[in-house]
Amino acid sequence: MTGFLNIEGVTKRYGEIKALDDVTLEVSKGKIFSLLGPSGCGKTTLLRICAGFEDPDAGRVILDGKDITHLPPNRRPVNTVFQNYALFPHMSVRDNIAFGPRTAGRGKREVDSKVDYYLDLSQMRSHADKKPRELSGGQRQRVAIARALINEPQLLLLDEPLAALDLKLRQRMLVELDDIHDRTGTTFLFVTHDQGEAMGLSDTVAVLNHGRVEQVGTPSEIYEAPRTGFVAAFIGDTNFLDGVVVGKVDDEYSRVRVDSLGRDDLLVFNDRPLSLGEEIFLSVRPEKIGVSSRPPAPNPKVTVMVGEVEEVIYLGSFTKFWVRVGAQRLSVQKQHDIFILEDKPPSWNDKVWLSLHADYGYILDNYQKADEALLPLSGKGAAPGGAVL
Amino acid sequence: MNRRQRRALGETVVSGPSFLWLLALFAIPTAALLVTSLRPADIYGGVAPGWTFANYLKLLSPERLGVVWRTVWISAVATIICVTVAVPVAYRVALCGPRLRRWLLLLLIAPFWTNFLIRVFAWKIVLGPDGWFRLALLKLGIIDPGTMLLYNKYTTLMVIVYTYLPFAIMPLFAAVEKFDFSLLEAARDLGAGRSGAFFKVFVPGVSKGIAAAALMVFIPALGSYVIPDMVGGVNSQMIGNLIADCVFVGRDIPAAAAWASLLVMMVVGFVGLRLTLVTLGGVSLKTRGADR
Amino acid sequence: MRHNSRLTWYATVGTLLFFYLPMLVVVLNSFNPSRYGGSWEGGLTCRWYLALCHDHNLASALFNTAVIGVGATLVSVVLGTLAAFALHLFQDKLQAAHGAMVYALLGMPDILIGISLLLLFLSIGLRLGLFTVFLAHVTFCVSYVAITVGARLQSFEFSTIEAARDLGAGWPRVVRRVILPQIAPAMVAGGLLAFTISIDDFVITFFVTGPASTTLPVYLYSLMKHGSPVLINALSTIFLVVTFVIVTLVNKLTERKA
Repeated sequence: MTGFLNIEGVTKRYGEIKALDDVTLEVSKGKIFSLLGPSGCGKTTLLRICAGFEDPDAGRVILDGKDITHLPPNRRPVNTVFQNYALFPHMSVRDNIAFGPRTAGRGKREVDSKVDYYLDLSQMRSHADKKPRELSGGQRQRVAIARALINEPQLLLLDEPLAALDLKLRQRMLVELDDIHDRTGTTFLFVTHDQGEAMGLSDTVAVLNHGRVEQVGTPSEIYEAPRTGFVAAFIGDTNFLDGVVVGKVDDEYSRVRVDSLGRDDLLVFNDRPLSLGEEIFLSVRPEKIGVSSRPPAPNPKVTVMVGEVEEVIYLGSFTKFWVRVGAQRLSVQKQHDIFILEDKPPSWNDKVWLSLHADYGYILDNYQKADEALLPLSGKGAAPGGAVL
Repeated sequence: MNRRQRRALGETVVSGPSFLWLLALFAIPTAALLVTSLRPADIYGGVAPGWTFANYLKLLSPERLGVVWRTVWISAVATIICVTVAVPVAYRVALCGPRLRRWLLLLLIAPFWTNFLIRVFAWKIVLGPDGWFRLALLKLGIIDPGTMLLYNKYTTLMVIVYTYLPFAIMPLFAAVEKFDFSLLEAARDLGAGRSGAFFKVFVPGVSKGIAAAALMVFIPALGSYVIPDMVGGVNSQMIGNLIADCVFVGRDIPAAAAWASLLVMMVVGFVGLRLTLVTLGGVSLKTRGADR
Repeated sequence: MRHNSRLTWYATVGTLLFFYLPMLVVVLNSFNPSRYGGSWEGGLTCRWYLALCHDHNLASALFNTAVIGVGATLVSVVLGTLAAFALHLFQDKLQAAHGAMVYALLGMPDILIGISLLLLFLSIGLRLGLFTVFLAHVTFCVSYVAITVGARLQSFEFSTIEAARDLGAGWPRVVRRVILPQIAPAMVAGGLLAFTISIDDFVITFFVTGPASTTLPVYLYSLMKHGSPVLINALSTIFLVVTFVIVTLVNKLTERKA
C-alpha cells in the first residue's frame, strides 16, 4: 500500500459486537483525513488503535513503512489531541506543553525555546503560566494541540476536536486548525460525527457506519456522488427516488419510472451502465431542484413536475420547501441570489413547478429504507435539523 | 494477548496488597468466628476440637434472650430518635446561608471528632451520684435520695442517642443538600399545606438519606459495648457486654464467638433487609413509571 | 415554611445544647479542687493538670498512640490508595469481592472486628502487643483511606494518564508526574482521617492490646473504671481543646480552597 499511514484490514471485536470490520484506509502524507460517522460507527476505536490504546484483533497499522500495530503509545511517533483535551490540571500551560520534550530528555534550553515557539504558534504566550482551569474552552484546545505538535509527530490524531466548542468558536477554530496544519505540514487524522467539521477541514473523508467504510473521497465527492443511501442521508439532506428504468434515450441518459412521484418519464444521467427494467435508487440534493411559481422554460435535459407546497421555512439566505408530488414529499432548497421586492415567493398550498436536471441526481450503489431515518425531515413533519454551514 | 496479560498483571499488583490484607485480617477472621462458635470450649476456656451447638443453646435462656431483646430494642428506639431529630436539624442547616451553615455543621460534627470515651464519661459525671444534675433534681424534690440516674437502660439509650446523633445528621445533611427545594414550592403551588409539603415531598425526597442515617445509627448501636459498660450497669447489658464478659471474665471463647456470630448475623440480616427493600422499592418505582 | 422554621430551629439549638453541656461540665469540673467532683470547694485549681504531667503511664500511652497512629496511617494510605484504584479501574468479580470487604469493614461494629482479630492472633500464637494493635489499626484504616481516595477518583480524569502515555511517558513517570500530584490531596485527607480514627480507637485496641502496649484511649478507659475522676476531667478537657482546634483549622483550610 502506498499511503503514508496505512490501515490494513483492521478488525476489532467487543464481545459479540464488531466495532471495526476489516477496515482498510490510506492516508496521504501531510493531508487532513477525517473519519466521519454516527456514534458507535467505530471511528473512535480506530483512532485509539492508531494511537496505541487498543490492539486490533486483526489487521495492521503501518506508518511511514513501519508496522506500529502493537507498539505501546509512548513509543509511537504519533500524538493525540483528546476530546476533553486531557490537560494536566496541576501543571501550568507551559509545563503541559513541555511535557513531551522533557519526557524525551531534551535539554532545558532546547525545551524552553521550543515551548516558546509553540506558545506563539497557539497564541498562548500571555497565558503560559496559567493553570488549565483558568482557561476557556478554545484556549484549552490550543494548548492541547500545542502539547501534541511540539513533539513533531509523524501523525496527529484528533478526537472530535471541535465538539466541546460553541458554534461561533467552532467556526473560528476550524480556520485555526487549518492554519496550524498548513504551517506545520503534519498529517492530521481526525474523528468527528459532525459533517460540517469533516467537510470544512478535510482533504479526504472516510464515512464509517457500523464498523465498515461506506465511502472514501474528497468532501465534494462524498456530497455530490454518494455511493450509498447512508452516505447520501448522513451528509446534509437529500431526496431518495425509487425507480425502474423503462427506456433508453441515448448512451448517456435513460428514462425512469418513479411510482411515488407518479411519473414514468424522469430523465436520468447514466452514472453507470443501466439495463432495462433495473431498479435504481436516486439521490437528489434539495438545492439541485429548481422551484418556481410559473412553468419554467423547457429544457430537454430537465424533467418538470408540478407539486403543492406543504411546508415553507425561510432561513434568510435560502428557503426550504417541502413539496408534495404524487405520493412523495420532496425537499427543495432555493437560494435567494436575487431579491425582487414585488416577487411573491411560493407559500403554503401554492402550486409550484419543480425542475430536475438529469445530471444532478446521483445513482446509488446501495440503498436501504432505514437510511431515510437519517434525513432531517423523514417525511413525518418533524422539525428540520442537520448541520448548517 | 500481550495487552490483556499486562492488564491482568496490573490488576494483581494494584489490588493484591489490600485484597490479601483484608482477606487475612478481616474476611478470614470473621469466618473463623462463625466456625469457632460451633466448637466446644476446653477447660481453659479455649477452643477444643469437635463440633457442637451447645454455645448457641446457651443463648436460649430467658436472661440471655432478654439481653438480645434489650439490644434490639435500645438500638431501634435510638435509631428512631436520632432520625427524628436529625431530619429537622439537617433541614434547618441546609436552609441557612453558606457562612452560618459552615459554622453550624462544624459545631454539630465536632463532637464526632472528640474522643468517644470522653463523651460517654461526660454523662457519667453529669448523671453520677455527685453530679450537678442529680443534685439539682434532688433539691427540687423530683427524685428521692435513693434514685440513681445512672445504671439503667434509659440512660444507656440516651447516651447511645448522644453518641450516634452526629452519625445520623451527616448522611441526612448530604441528602438534604442534594434535595431540590423548588419541589416544595411546586407542592405549595399545587395546594399542599406546609406540613403536607414537608411530609409528602421533603421526607420521601430525602428517604435515601434517612435510610443511610438509620443504618449509621442502628448497626453500631447493636454493637455497643462501652456505653452499657460505663453507664448501663449490670441490669442493662447488651450483646457487646456479653461478648466482652465471655472473653475477659468468663473465659469462654467459643461462647464469645457464638454471641459475636449472633451479632454478625443480625448485622448482615438488617443490612440485607435494607438492600432488599431498596431493590424492591426501585423495582416497584420502575413499574409504576416514577423516576425517583 | 414559618411554622416549620421555628420547630427546626428549636431542634437544632436543642441538639447543640444536648451535645455541648455535658462536655462543658467536664471542662468546668477539671478545675474543681475536690477529689470526687460534685461539691465545689476552694475555688479553681490547675493541680490536676499538673498531676497529669507527672503521670508516666500517660506518657507511655501517648507515645504508643502516636507511634501506632503514624505507622498505621502510612501503611494504610499505601494500601488504601491501591485499593481505591483497583476498585475504580477493574470492574470484575475479584474487585466486587474486594469492594465488599472494604465496605463491610466500615459497617461492622468495632466489637466484632476486635474479637475476630483477637481470635486470629490467639490461634496463630501471636503475642498481643504493639504489633497486634498496629495490624488491627491498619486493617480498619485501609477502608477509610480507600473511600476517601475513591471519592476523588470519581472525578479523576483518566484521560490525563493516556495523554501522558501518548506524549511518551513510561509508567513510572506517569505515576510520579501525573497520577500522584492529582490524588495527593485526597491521600493526605485519607491519611488524616486514618490517623484520627487510629488515635481515637478504643474497642478494637482494647481487645487486641497487651499489658505493655496501652494506648491513650485504653489508658483513659482504665482511669475511668478504676482511677480518680478528676484526672480524667483534666485529660478530657485537653482532648476536647485539641480536637476543637484541629477541627477549626481544618475547616478554615477547606474553606479557603473552596
